[in-house]
Order: sequence, then C-alpha cells, then structure tokens
Amino acid sequence: MEKDARPKWDSPVQFVLACVSYAVGLGNVWRFPYLCQMHGGGGFLIPYLLMLFLEGVPLFYLELAIGQKMRLGSIGAWTAISPYLGGMGLASVVTSLYLCLYYNIINAWSFWYLFHSFQSVLPWAECPINANRTGPIKECEQATPTQYFFYRETLDISSSIEENGGIHTGQALCLILAWIITYLFIVRGVKSTGKVVYFTATFPYVVLFVYLIRGITLHGAINGVKYMFTPKMEQLANPTTWINAATQIFFSLGLGFGSLIAFSSYNQYNNNFERQAIVVSLINSGTSIFASIVTFAIYGFKATVNYENCLERTRLLLLNAFNLAEDSITVDTVYDWIEKLNATYPEQFAELNTRLENCDLESELDTAVEGTGLAFIVYSEAIKNMPLSQLWSVLYFIMLLLLGMGSMLGNVTAIITPLRDFKVISLAEGSVLLAGLVCLFCLLLGLGFTTTSGSYWFTMFNDYGATFSLLFIVLIEVITVSYIYGIKRFEKDIEDMLGHRPNWYWKIMWTFTSPLLLIALFIFYIINYIKGGTPTYQAWNKELGKSVVTEYPVFGQVFIGLLLASSVSCVPLTALYVYCRKRKHGGHHKRQRTVSTISA
Amino acid sequence: MFEKIFFLLCLSTALAEQLCRPEASDGYRVRLSIKTALGDEAYVWNDNEMFLFRATLAFAMRNQISGQEFEVSNIIVCDETPRVSFWFVVTSPQNTSQLVDKESVEEAVRKSRNRINSAFLLTDKTLEFIGIPPTLAAPVNPDTPPWLIVFGLVMGAVGAGIIVLLASSVVQKKRKNDEKPDDEEIDEETRVKTVENSAASEGIYNRSFSDDERFTHM
Repeated sequence: MEKDARPKWDSPVQFVLACVSYAVGLGNVWRFPYLCQMHGGGGFLIPYLLMLFLEGVPLFYLELAIGQKMRLGSIGAWTAISPYLGGMGLASVVTSLYLCLYYNIINAWSFWYLFHSFQSVLPWAECPINANRTGPIKECEQATPTQYFFYRETLDISSSIEENGGIHTGQALCLILAWIITYLFIVRGVKSTGKVVYFTATFPYVVLFVYLIRGITLHGAINGVKYMFTPKMEQLANPTTWINAATQIFFSLGLGFGSLIAFSSYNQYNNNFERQAIVVSLINSGTSIFASIVTFAIYGFKATVNYENCLERTRLLLLNAFNLAEDSITVDTVYDWIEKLNATYPEQFAELNTRLENCDLESELDTAVEGTGLAFIVYSEAIKNMPLSQLWSVLYFIMLLLLGMGSMLGNVTAIITPLRDFKVISLAEGSVLLAGLVCLFCLLLGLGFTTTSGSYWFTMFNDYGATFSLLFIVLIEVITVSYIYGIKRFEKDIEDMLGHRPNWYWKIMWTFTSPLLLIALFIFYIINYIKGGTPTYQAWNKELGKSVVTEYPVFGQVFIGLLLASSVSCVPLTALYVYCRKRKHGGHHKRQRTVSTISA
Repeated sequence: MFEKIFFLLCLSTALAEQLCRPEASDGYRVRLSIKTALGDEAYVWNDNEMFLFRATLAFAMRNQISGQEFEVSNIIVCDETPRVSFWFVVTSPQNTSQLVDKESVEEAVRKSRNRINSAFLLTDKTLEFIGIPPTLAAPVNPDTPPWLIVFGLVMGAVGAGIIVLLASSVVQKKRKNDEKPDDEEIDEETRVKTVENSAASEGIYNRSFSDDERFTHM
C-alpha cells in the first residue's frame, strides 16, 4: 500500500486544458505571424501543416505516452526506460530551469504594462516633456513614444551588455509578483494547477475573439489581412521556409522540456491520450493561425494610420513651404501636388527634398517584427490609436499574462515533478516547501534580468538557452524509444494503456520521419551557427534612437557556450556516471538479488 | 490740404512697409491653421480678423511693457499669404519709426499666449509664432504613481490568497491530527477483536515485492 499515492487530475478535461494552456503561449502570438509574413503569407500554411503531421503530433504523442506509462517525471521516466539515458531527463530539467529563469520576466513586463494602462492617457501614447519644457525628450523624439516607453521607462536599457546599472525596482516588484502568482498556482501540485488551467486556457480565446472583432472593424485592417493571405508561392522553394516551419511546430508544442511527461504522469493509467494528443496539437496550430489573423488586422490598422499620418505631415510641409491656402491640398491629392510644385518651383522644391518623407503603405506593412518587439511595441502602438485605448490595453495585457502564466505552469511543473519523485522530502507539506524553494531560487536569479543590461541577457537566454538543447534532447528521445527501448515494446505498452496498438502512421513517423527531420534541423542549426560567425544582438542606441547590431563580447560568447554545453552534456555525463557505478556495484547487486529470491 | 494729408498717408504706409520686411530681424512670422482647428465651423480670414489680431497683440505688448500705450497702429503686418501666414513687427508708441526689440515681443507673446489663442479659438499648434516655441504644460506628477496603486491592490489580493491557502492547510493538518488518535484506537480494538475472534490474522504487508514493481519490465 503506497502511503504517498501519486496525485491525479480531477478529470481528463483538466489534463487537456493544462496541455493547451502550456502549449498555447506567447510564441503563437508573436512568432507565428512573423514567420507567416516572412515566408509568403497564406502559402506558409502548407509547410506548417505538413510539419505538424510529420513531426509535431507524433512527438507529442510519444511524450504523453512515456509520461503516462512511467508515471514519473522526466528524470525518473527516462532512467526507467534506459538507465544510461537518464541524463536526458536531467537535460530537460536544466533546460526547463533556464526557461523558468527568463520566461517570467516577460510576465513581469506584461504586469508593468498592465498596471500602466490604468491612466487617462496611456504613457506610451505621447513623449514626455524635457526638463526645459520646450519639447519632448530627445531620445523619444528620435525614436517613437512606444519605443521610448519600452526601452527607457520599462527596461531602462543600457547601451550594451557590458554596461550595467542597478536593478530597476519597478521591474523587480513585477517579477516578485509574477513568481508569487506562479507559486500560488503550483503550490498544491495538480490540485491547484488543475483548477487554474480552466481559466488560463480558455480566457485568452475570449480576448482573442474580442480582438478579432475589434481588429477587423478597424480602419485599414483589411490591408493587413489581405497582405497576409496573399500567398507568395515562390517562398515555398526556399528551404528556410520549411526549416522555419519545422522549428516553429517543434518549439510551439513545448516538446523536450519534460512538462508533457510531468503532466501526463498524473493521468489515469488508461487515459486515452492518443485522441488528446491530436486535439491539443490541432488546437495549438489553430490558435496560431487565429492569432495571426488578429495580428495582421492590427498590423494593417497600424500601417494605415502611419501612412495617413505621413501623408498629413507631407501635406502640412507643402502648405507651409509654399504658403498655399489650407484646403487646397487634401490628403488624397498630395502626390499630384508634389509633381505640380516640382514643376513650377523646382529650386524651392529641391530645398524641401531632404525633409520630404516617402510615404508608402507597402513598406509600412513590410516591417515584420517578432518577439518582444511585436508584443510590446507594435501592438501598444496600435492600441494607443484605438478609441477607448485603456480598455483594449488592459484586455490585451491580461491575455499576454494568461498565455505566459499558463506556459510557466508547465515549465515549473517540469522541474518540480522529477524532484518530487526523488522523495527528497516525501510529505505533502514538503512539496509546498519544495515548490517555494524552486520559485525563490528562480526569483533571485531572475532579478539579474531586471538590471539595465538584463534585457540583453534575456535575449541571449531566449536565443540560445533552449533551442539547440531541445533539438538534441528530442532527437535522443525519439531514437531511444524507437530503437533502444524498441518500438515493439513501446507498442505493447501503449496497447496496455489504451487497449489498441498504434497504427502504421505513428510507427513510421517515430522510426523514420521524425528522426530524419530532427537530424536535418540539427545539422541546419549547427551549420547556421558556424556560418553566422560571431553571435550578435540588438543593442539600443540612445543617441540614434534605434537598435544597432552589436557583437557579443568574449564573456558573452563563453556564456552562450556554457548554456549550450551545460544541458547537452548532461546526457553523456550521466551515461558515463551510470556506467562507472554499475561496474563498481555490479558484483554486490547480483548477490543481493539471489538472497531475496531464496527467502521468499 | 488734401494733398498734404494724402502725402502724409503715403509716407506713413511707405515707412510702415520699410519697417515691416519679412524675415527681417525684429519681427515674427505667424501662421494660422483655422480649417484644421475648427473644420466646418471655420471662420473666413478677412481684414476684421486681422484687426482683431493686431488689437490682441497690442494688448499683449501693453501687458508686457507697462506704462507704454500700444495702439493697433503700432502692430504692422505684411506679406500676407493665402496660407494665412504673415509677418508682423511692433513699433514703439513713443517713436513710430523704431521697432521694439525681438526679446520683448517674444516675452509678451509668451505671457499672453493663452489669451491670444482663445481670441481666435485656436491652440498652440494651430496658431504658430514661428520662432517662439510654446511653453508646454508642466507634466502632472502625482505623489504615488498610479501604477503602484494598482500593483498594491493586486499584490494585496495575492498575499491574501497565500495566507488563506496556508491557513487552510494548517487547519486541515490540525483536523487530521485530531482524527488520527481516534483512528488508532479503533484500529487497535479491531485488531484485538480479530485476534480473539479468528485465527487468521491480517498479517503484516510485505513491502519487498511491491517496491520492485517499477523497475522490472517484463
């Protein structure tokens, strides 16, 4: 009789919602629309959906199966499958740890923006006035108010990763809040997580739907949506398109972190995870497409507003320079007038040329942004132009928070579940303490990201902390299950749990397609890394008011190497350790076994 | 007689024209954007409006330089364009051929900017004095930044949640501890009973087999 029965989800619905909440995260909102735009709009859906079925769903199914069968976190589960490859679980935990460290900073930023939305004028709508009260602050004038608010007031960013100031207290407070809320969500394990996911998984869809209606009714939104859906089929010939589609599916589903294994380890033994895997993967991709429609409607609106503002500025410039009556030039006739004036007053016009902007709707739409830039700069710029902007701002940042918090649940669970399995502290209260310690540890280290150069460290972690190691981990995972553990044994386990064997589609994907795809991605990453030369990052230049590409200093590159090596090396190191231990204790263990069989 | 008056008038206008030269040193260019500001309710710019402008500026000069009585005739305007922009200079009431220096004019306009704007139903942006940047409104700095208030609210709610959670777990533990001694007594009684009643006892559960379950996959 087990004293500590493994906690379970109250119902399979909770498990599905937990997976949805984990998989549907910020990447669906800020990475997929960017890829869609870069790789030919509607045409990108073809490689995306293809990769979903070749790689996404089979690997998702695999991880769920392992978790549900072994009923342990990632370390225990992989050790049980093959003792030499228990290092995979450890690598997953290390990668999850890195993710936890930097991911909650995004939630801190969302909190910051959310709290600042409760003002009559949104602080990123206008430039603050300088000390002399003669005009806006210079840095804000060079850049835009939204960029200024993000880089100066939110981050207080330094000009490079080498320079460091102190901790930004506002950021630190928001980070503490984010970690306390994360702790609250996971403190009772699946009991608390199971209830929270009802909200974190469903409310973002409500907000997305509301935003869809708002977005489509915005002036000029149709330009953006048209731009997105016009497929540029020639992009399909570009191999980068296919690679990016594969990578996006891979990271979007959150494979390799151990969170899926952790979640499914709390399932009933006979839970039908096959159907759930397909459902969650489809929901994840569907959300990406849905979010990109909203994003492109917003893009279209923002581009149209900027274009019309540009035309208005040009109109004023012409009026003032040539002293024409106010209603002689309208926004529509600006270009005609430019030609007319160029013909009649060529010298005066030539003087004007330097100040004349080239207003182009296409180029406004072409500015493809991803990541934090999209979420915090582009979107907030669009929001400030909407009527009732405070309401839309609050809704939007609540949605970002829920998406981010939902993913954090999975990340922290991936760390705590294996540690719990080690029975470090076996009591129920012990798990409360363990969760608290993990959160505290991550919070203290995460404070480093709230310093003035913290955003650059964030970018480093985001670009290098999890990408390469995950590919490696999942590749080893699928090879282990297919060849070392054996596909036949795996089939039998699934039959044991579900009552039927997986059909030929799954088996072919696990044994051939997914490993091949992963190896191709892996090689591509290595080649890209070598070809790319010194890794670079975008540093914010105060004087110019924009980001410049800067190379990482030596210590930065060393740290990147450490990040990559620390998680990847867990696998060979653990294998070596287990091998050495087995050799030492091999004799003892055999003798013990014979004794116990005789006494029984 | 009439010729003299006519001659004097011509002379004065000629002098005025000489004094008021666009882009000369002691004047400013004014630009009005009436249609932008008022849209459909825009008024037409005509000589009466110009008269109002000169009067308002004379008022501003009077406020600035106390003692000197500036009249409408002291404000000379030239180079009117269809944009509705023009150049103006201010002559001293004591000596009409001498211009008031730029700094005083600037000060005067700055001080009475609000009054000048409201006379024309315009704002700092739509009634521009080119070369005199408007003094922007001082930023409102509340004692507690509003974001901190919202943060405090949320933090308070979360803190209350944690306390409730911890308290409920402590209460649950207490209840368990209270029930445990009762359970143990009941158990002992039943065990004693079974020993008395039947020969076959429950026995002690042998753990050595159940622990191995996890590691042997046959």
